[in-house]
Amino acid sequence: MENQKFKYDNKIVKLFILATLVWGVVGILVGVVIASQLAFPVLNFGLEFTTFGRVRPVHTNAIIFAFVGNAIFAGVYYSMQKLLKTRMFSDKLSYFNFWGWQIIIVLAAVTLLAGFTTGKEYAELEWPIDILITLVWVAFGWNMIGTLIIRRVQHIYAAIWWYLATFIGIAILHVVNSFELPISLFKSYSIYAGVQDAVVQWWYGHNAVAFFLTTPFLGLMYYYLPKAANRPIYSYKLSIIHFWSLIFLYMWAGPHHLLYQALPDWAQALGVTFSIMLIAPSWGGMINGLLTLRGAWDRVRDSAALKFLVVAVTAYGMSTFEGPMMSLKTVNQITHFTDWTIAHVHIGGMGWNGGIVFGMLYWLVPQLFKTKLYSEKLANIHFWMSTLAILIYAIPLYWAAVTQWLMWKDYNAEGFLTYPNFLETLVQIVPMYTVRIISGVLFLGGFLVMLFNLSKTMAAGKFVNDEASSAPALVPAGARNPLRETIHRWMERKAVRFSIWVFIALFIGGAVEIIPMIFIKSNVPTLDSVTPYTPLELEGRDLYVSEGCYVCHSQMVRPFRWETDRYGEYSKIGEFVYDHPYQWGSRRTGPDLGRAGVIGGPMYKNAAWHYNHFMDPQKMNEQSIMPNYAWLAVKNINLSKTPAKIKAMQSMGVPYEDGYSEKAVDDLMEQARTISDDLKLSGIEIEPQKQMIAMIAYMHKLGKDISNESFAKVELHSESIAADPQKKEVKLLKDQADLDAGKKLFDTHCVVCHGPEGKGIGIFPDLTDNEWITGNSPAQVFKSISDGNVSKGMVPYKTQLTEEQITQLTSYILITLQKK
Amino acid sequence: MKIVSSLLESIEGIRIYYIIGLLIFVVLFIVILIRTIRMSNNKIDKIKKSILTDDDPGEIMTSN
Repeated sequence: MENQKFKYDNKIVKLFILATLVWGVVGILVGVVIASQLAFPVLNFGLEFTTFGRVRPVHTNAIIFAFVGNAIFAGVYYSMQKLLKTRMFSDKLSYFNFWGWQIIIVLAAVTLLAGFTTGKEYAELEWPIDILITLVWVAFGWNMIGTLIIRRVQHIYAAIWWYLATFIGIAILHVVNSFELPISLFKSYSIYAGVQDAVVQWWYGHNAVAFFLTTPFLGLMYYYLPKAANRPIYSYKLSIIHFWSLIFLYMWAGPHHLLYQALPDWAQALGVTFSIMLIAPSWGGMINGLLTLRGAWDRVRDSAALKFLVVAVTAYGMSTFEGPMMSLKTVNQITHFTDWTIAHVHIGGMGWNGGIVFGMLYWLVPQLFKTKLYSEKLANIHFWMSTLAILIYAIPLYWAAVTQWLMWKDYNAEGFLTYPNFLETLVQIVPMYTVRIISGVLFLGGFLVMLFNLSKTMAAGKFVNDEASSAPALVPAGARNPLRETIHRWMERKAVRFSIWVFIALFIGGAVEIIPMIFIKSNVPTLDSVTPYTPLELEGRDLYVSEGCYVCHSQMVRPFRWETDRYGEYSKIGEFVYDHPYQWGSRRTGPDLGRAGVIGGPMYKNAAWHYNHFMDPQKMNEQSIMPNYAWLAVKNINLSKTPAKIKAMQSMGVPYEDGYSEKAVDDLMEQARTISDDLKLSGIEIEPQKQMIAMIAYMHKLGKDISNESFAKVELHSESIAADPQKKEVKLLKDQADLDAGKKLFDTHCVVCHGPEGKGIGIFPDLTDNEWITGNSPAQVFKSISDGNVSKGMVPYKTQLTEEQITQLTSYILITLQKK
Repeated sequence: MKIVSSLLESIEGIRIYYIIGLLIFVVLFIVILIRTIRMSNNKIDKIKKSILTDDDPGEIMTSN
């Protein structure tokens, strides 16, 4: 057999490695910045481009798509050529892949900071970038399949199946999830609404984890672990079985991100079942990796590369056990909306993805540069820094998650929430956020040590761009008539046929889950009382999306007593039919806003409160960690796009009357003027076309349409006191213990509007003077607290406090503050 | 898409799609399992070891 000469393309591998290193530093650094912002809100700098809501997506996208993405390409481009004994199919495609990907990353960072976002987690990029991603991704897949066709070995080694599954999986997910209707170059609406958008998004979100952070990395594990240990993989048969089970099962598991939420029960049950089933193939992979090292564990002692790979596989095993456990409904009510999820993904990200990338680089860079690693000792230092960082990250956040959950659901003996003020539960865990910064700095430090070590290695070595090699040509098995190549014959070629099988396996899960959700009407019961957004509310909603408010605030009240007592009526599927995109959120760093517009509900705040709060949250409450949004009072709503937005909504089935887009701007201004007039009464001068007005309008829309039901609930608690407040005798409590209790209640509930000394903030009245509109006799104060003043933004506290507590509070106000 | 949407108007009988999907998985799983177990160990061994015999020295090179 003839020995063919060819050259490996090492240069493309080197380029991707360099990109991995650069974006790794950037991604981790941004992570440290946002971690610090949560502990020290002053680091938001009061600029719109540097607020947490905008920077956090930069961190997630930089780590997932820039750092991990480039590492995948580096690993794939090296191992594919070696495994198939050929150069990549097309140099042009390789370099298009490289430069295209880097351009996407830069565009992503710029647009996200500028506030151009679709508002769907891990798919935030706007439509022109989505198209670019599709092109680059197709180039990558085309190049891979082309390389498979020109290969010089018969069998396709296991690692490559995973690469192929990655290509096909991400292609399906990206295309389906990115259907959006463009309004302008930088603004589009998801064509899905509400629950459908949520299902598609989490089908994507979960499988982005699967096909971007799992399958390519299993492929890398199957190549680089045997190479680094110089031993064959433990069981090749196991690799075949766990490959097919894993790619088939993953696609079904998405709804486990939406448990207890406004999603049909059958979809939730389906997600849970398949998540549990996923343990089997995931652990198949872990066991295969670890057993590869049987009898060779002494080598792990000497090699930092192997140490990283072992920790990676172990972290994979832990995450893939933890994940299914978190999919159980009982566990999920703890882990969802708390920091548990954040800790979980960082064990996966820092341990599994980081570990494989670091292990791969410590082995691959010396290989490519034909030299030894500059310092094994430094690599070991990096290993310990990085492993320690994972622990310092995860443990405080698990602690924070459980603490916050226990506080959310704690009831006192009288049957009221012990911590009705959300902020109390957050203040408790902020110290954990400080500890997390240490972890980030440690991880970044380790990364920099690696950077130094690898650059020294590169400088010492000799790099060959095109490395000469030779291999016998592949005689295609069972070649029939090469002159009559039909489509059928083409399909029969192993590589292509294999890809199609993978596609089918992936497609079944996706189709079964999504198609019924989108098309079956009875899945989305509509509520008659729910009306489309007014133009002003719609503009406010777009601002909410663009500022990334969903990063910290959910809009999904789960059907637990401790959530309905805190926020109001639980969320229904039918509420969200006009939400393009849905904004349910996945983490509550701040309180849920789904009921922020329910007048008389526990979450309602009036326009003046919102104005003051956006301008300076820390003035309203010293301990708040929310960034300020002062520019909302300066910047104008872009009215030129409003008619186009209304038209886009109409074409997606939102029932505005015909020709409404013509009137939209007038309606918008009219509604805006009512809000600015309302603010004027409170002494706040602001022009109606400012963004602040739209934001307030949107806040007051949230949950408003179903608020009638909530009113009934508010009344329920209060019969005993409300019966006849005038007759009720209120005796002030003069004991120091009662006054202290009253002060504590005041600090929790009242300082936000009345200030720490009760002198009032802005329009909110001074409690220390004698000018009380509703009177300041004990009975009158008691009544003011228990009934609130809903139109002015004061919550009726009888739904949150006991009679004794209200009496203590009254005593504190009248005795301590008024000095009576 | 009109055809699909009129087929799937109601949630009644929706379970059939999941049963079909699951059946496909179970059948494929059994087929793949049997075929994999019956693959010749010799051939598998050759594939496994093939990746270690390319041009790379394989062993990790260290400086200390």
